[in-house]
Amino acid sequence: MHALLAVASSFTGPRLDYHALAPEIILTATLVLVLLADLVLEERNQWLISNLAGIGVLASVIPIITLAVQNHAARSMAGGAYVVDDFSLVLKALFLGIGYVVLLMSTNYVEEGDYYQGEYYFLLLASLLGMVVMASARDLITIFVALETLSIPAYMLAGWRKRDLKSNEAAIKYYLLGVLASAVMLYGMSLVFGYTGSTVLTEIGKQVNGSITHKPVITLGIFFIVIGFAFKVSAVPFHFWAPDTYEGSPTPVTAFLSVASKTAGFVALLELIYVGFLGRNDVWGPMFWVLAALTMTVGNLIALRQTNVVRLLAYSSIAQAGYVLVPFAVAGDNIAARRSSFTAAVVYLMIYAAMNLGAFSVVIAVARKTRSGDISSYGGLFEYAPGLTVAMTVFLFALAGIPPAGGWFAKLMVFRAVLDSGTTWAVVLGVIAGVNSVIALYYYAAVAREMWMSPVPDGDVTPVRVPAPLLASLGLTGLVVMAIGVYPQLFAHFGDLGTLVR
Amino acid sequence: MPLALSAVLAASAAGTSSDSSAFLRQYLTVAIFAAAAVVMVGAMLGLGRLLRPSRPQEQKSIAYESGVDPVGQGWSQSQVRYYVFALLFVMFDVEAVFIFPWATRLEAMGTYGLVEMAIFIGILVLGLVYAWRKGVLRWV
Repeated sequence: MHALLAVASSFTGPRLDYHALAPEIILTATLVLVLLADLVLEERNQWLISNLAGIGVLASVIPIITLAVQNHAARSMAGGAYVVDDFSLVLKALFLGIGYVVLLMSTNYVEEGDYYQGEYYFLLLASLLGMVVMASARDLITIFVALETLSIPAYMLAGWRKRDLKSNEAAIKYYLLGVLASAVMLYGMSLVFGYTGSTVLTEIGKQVNGSITHKPVITLGIFFIVIGFAFKVSAVPFHFWAPDTYEGSPTPVTAFLSVASKTAGFVALLELIYVGFLGRNDVWGPMFWVLAALTMTVGNLIALRQTNVVRLLAYSSIAQAGYVLVPFAVAGDNIAARRSSFTAAVVYLMIYAAMNLGAFSVVIAVARKTRSGDISSYGGLFEYAPGLTVAMTVFLFALAGIPPAGGWFAKLMVFRAVLDSGTTWAVVLGVIAGVNSVIALYYYAAVAREMWMSPVPDGDVTPVRVPAPLLASLGLTGLVVMAIGVYPQLFAHFGDLGTLVR
Repeated sequence: MPLALSAVLAASAAGTSSDSSAFLRQYLTVAIFAAAAVVMVGAMLGLGRLLRPSRPQEQKSIAYESGVDPVGQGWSQSQVRYYVFALLFVMFDVEAVFIFPWATRLEAMGTYGLVEMAIFIGILVLGLVYAWRKGVLRWV
């Protein structure tokens, strides 16, 4: 007891690297400002809030750029619990980019609908803050706090269409299963902490690779943690909340959940697997194998039967998560596979973000006129909205993995990881992924056929008016998707930042 | 019980050399754990069923309300404004939980601690200001 007091009395505050923390600080300041602006602005000036949020997000990218050009060694804070390195910088930039595009998608949607504006942007920024923190978290508690920070605002955003029963259902399902996942994950974390006596991932990694390699408690801990994150990334068989939540939420929120929230889950998995549990691929390898195979197959097969485009994209995003799980399944096989799996997962997440956000932008734009999410309402879209039709076709073919749209490169990286591993099981998984890509092409092409070939269902061919912010989000995502597809080397080196790979 | 459980688990993972059997043994751990969970719950409920006397009476299935005979319906509306105040109470409750231990060590933590707490309280006050401006504090 006295020793403890002696330690406490010689307290020195943790050394904070304000430059490294600047993105988080700017984002926090922005969300405080957004809340205050909501309080003082009158109803007719509320449109300022979304601009304020957008400027804040862009401002937090600036310190990321200045940090990136410095070429500094990894900046480690709080005893290794919070690390700002190349990996976290790239992922932070990705999250902020996703956040900005979602803001662009939301602006008119929130303004024209009967929604609370200030709170919407406040919650969106709060969730974004959790993701930015997640990219730096190298500690079980930090990961958990980041996960809750990003999840809790998202639960509320899912129910933002307050008087719509489907939106209520979306929020409740997401909330209940999210909490269940957190509980399962925390249980796993408590087992790991109980045995290693540390929450810092590098320390856990040392112990898991060393003396306590085959303790059954560690097996259980890894098992439960991976199950918890499988809920978050909506991997089959833990995907049941996803289609209902995606369909019921406001469409920009759906885009946010299916891209940003999922990416955050994968980022946490990368940190846990590569830093914490690298030595135990005998536990997580087979788990990810089964999850990846099931997720791809079930997601694609159910997507075949969908008639609502948002539900279709929901199942497609489940299937896409399956492709991202493939590199995880083969990561432990050898050192080459470990490196290429890491690259594949990061590159896939970046490209997936661009193409999925683009597809949702088109869905929002079309719904402004048709007020419907049915695939049949896309009939003859080319006749009155040729630009949107071309954009949607690009995004759909990107999701299907057809060059020159970006998605093919992401899939190529996944297959490269599989080939680097070269084991029978890895090749079998690669074949499953290949077969699934073909199945996926069918339903993506079905939407494209509807747009290009079918007649306009109600004969109404007045053009769709696309507001400027939505046009900007379409332009940004379209540009990124095509740039990656035509010149993939531009983005390939972002995945080679093996700061986590040892 | 946890001791016995970990003994079982340790037995399942003892000896880990050969490839595929070692892998199966890893997952045997998970299977044993799941089985233990099912058996434990089953045993507790089953034992209770075996041991307890069973004398069903009509009064026993009435909802329990502090020993008094229940009045009215089980479903009743409660004022939503209590809920808002409960939320605000939680805010200050959590604040107190952090402030008390902080206050005892304030001298040791110096300026750093003071600034940290100022930021923390600042964010909480922001929440209060929000509630006030939105008219939550008015008793309607």
